[in-house]
Amino acid sequence: MKILFVDDEHDVEALFRQKFRKEIKSGVLELAFAFSGKGALELLAAENPPKFVYVFSDINMPGMSGLDLLNQIKARFPEIQVSMISAYGDHENYDRAMNSGAKGFFTKPVDFERLKLEIASLADKN
Amino acid sequence: MILINLISLFLLYYLKKSAGPQGFPTHLNRYFKYGMIAAATLIVLGILHVPPAILFQLASFALVGAIIYFILHTPELEYQRTLAITPLPIVGVQLLDYLVRTLSPGFHDVIENYFDAAGVFALIWAVTMWLNHRKQMKEVEIERIISKEQERQLRSTAEQKSQLEILVAERTSEILSQKEELQHALDHLRSTQEQLIQQEKLASLGQLTAGIAHEIKNPLNFVNNFSELSVDFLDEISEEMPRIPDSPEKENILDLLENVKSNLVKIRHHGSRADGIVRSMLMHSRGGTGTMEPSDLNALIREYANLAFHGMRANPNPINVDIQLDLDETLPKIKLNSEDFSRVILNLLKNAFDAMRDKIEAQGSEYKAKVIIRTKDLGNRVLVEVEDNGPGVPDEIKDKLLMPFFTTKKGTEGTGLGLSITHDIIKSHEGSLEIQSEADTFTLFKILLPKTIS
Repeated sequence: MKILFVDDEHDVEALFRQKFRKEIKSGVLELAFAFSGKGALELLAAENPPKFVYVFSDINMPGMSGLDLLNQIKARFPEIQVSMISAYGDHENYDRAMNSGAKGFFTKPVDFERLKLEIASLADKN
Repeated sequence: MILINLISLFLLYYLKKSAGPQGFPTHLNRYFKYGMIAAATLIVLGILHVPPAILFQLASFALVGAIIYFILHTPELEYQRTLAITPLPIVGVQLLDYLVRTLSPGFHDVIENYFDAAGVFALIWAVTMWLNHRKQMKEVEIERIISKEQERQLRSTAEQKSQLEILVAERTSEILSQKEELQHALDHLRSTQEQLIQQEKLASLGQLTAGIAHEIKNPLNFVNNFSELSVDFLDEISEEMPRIPDSPEKENILDLLENVKSNLVKIRHHGSRADGIVRSMLMHSRGGTGTMEPSDLNALIREYANLAFHGMRANPNPINVDIQLDLDETLPKIKLNSEDFSRVILNLLKNAFDAMRDKIEAQGSEYKAKVIIRTKDLGNRVLVEVEDNGPGVPDEIKDKLLMPFFTTKKGTEGTGLGLSITHDIIKSHEGSLEIQSEADTFTLFKILLPKTIS
């Protein structure tokens, strides 16, 4: 199962790869990382149809924001689930994300237990 | 003889009429009345020829003489002096005529013609004097009217003057009170302006801290996450370790890994402390995320008083505290942001616990720590009180208590934001926070909340 994380902080990659070390090792998960909205769309468009089933995106990013990315993904790849991960857990961001079709909303610092449960539920469906 | 009495009557009548608007003193009027009665009586007696004629004839002369004397010698009648001398020749001629006729009727017949002539002259004199007197009287009257008019004008001027003075006094006091009001308003404006400047400063400080907090939060999250991860990895490593045969090197490695783990735990601990501060700062600048909804304040207080107590018991240095709830069960639901308001209860209780802990350390087990939380329905407002019997708040820091970053807690225990946030939350509920305290006796936080919020 392929999951894409989008965040402008490069260390996010190391963090998530270490967090999901066991799952990656056992082949349950395959993680990919993009550091901008544009990079994420390029990755998603590289394969047709894309193999990604889930995208986790930061909201505050230079260039394309996470909410813009959400709208684009929903328009071009409606079958891919998208959840937002943001340091700004305010109502406005939450409402906009949910209205645009986001599946979930995680606030930073990320609760990894919740994130793992979310991913596990997706894996069960697959 | 009747003529003399008619003159008396006329004189008295004329005097009485000439009194003018202010009149004569009553005793003068009485004299006039009696005089007129006497004259009329004498006229009637004269017509009836009632004897002894000589008596009333003399009385008639006495009366007219008395009247003339009266006019000349009464100060109130001074201006009528010419009137007194008007009939004088007639009276004189009549008297002489009478005397001569009575004493020597023969001689009277001889000089009767002279008496007649004297009578005519006396009459002419009387008429002349009378006209003269009338003229004088008119002048006096005109003068009197003029002086009366002047007096009237003087009086009305004085009246106007005093009215104006009253008006001026009224206006002056009005102006003075307006001046005071203006001064008051000006003072108020000045203090409001100062407050605004202070708030503006605080607001920009708030924005700055929010910005800084956010910028710090991201790297801090990495510090916390990676340290946590590393501790997990070390746990995994120690699970694998038994499979490696023992050796002095392994011993050393295990020892070092134990140190690394304890270091990571410290990094995680201090990282989460920093995270708490950043969180408070963000909360401070942004406020809570909950919404205003009709809430059961008593239930909220029960829940969070319990939570605060158990939280304190679970943390280092727990203390024994008697928490008493004195809640007004008739309290209706009031509009609250429960998420925010729960922080008010938690903050106030945490402060009370910390303060009482210091008192316990200073005084030992003699002192029994106690917190009372009260609610009360005050009609259109609700009162919430949190009172502890801790060390109290010294007067000199009472003012600073609500300022951001002000703390009395030693070392790293306090962020100095707790009460500041509490105050902000209460203000966002349009309420007020008041602090009462007595050194070594009590500290009382009084919160007043309106039942309806605009």
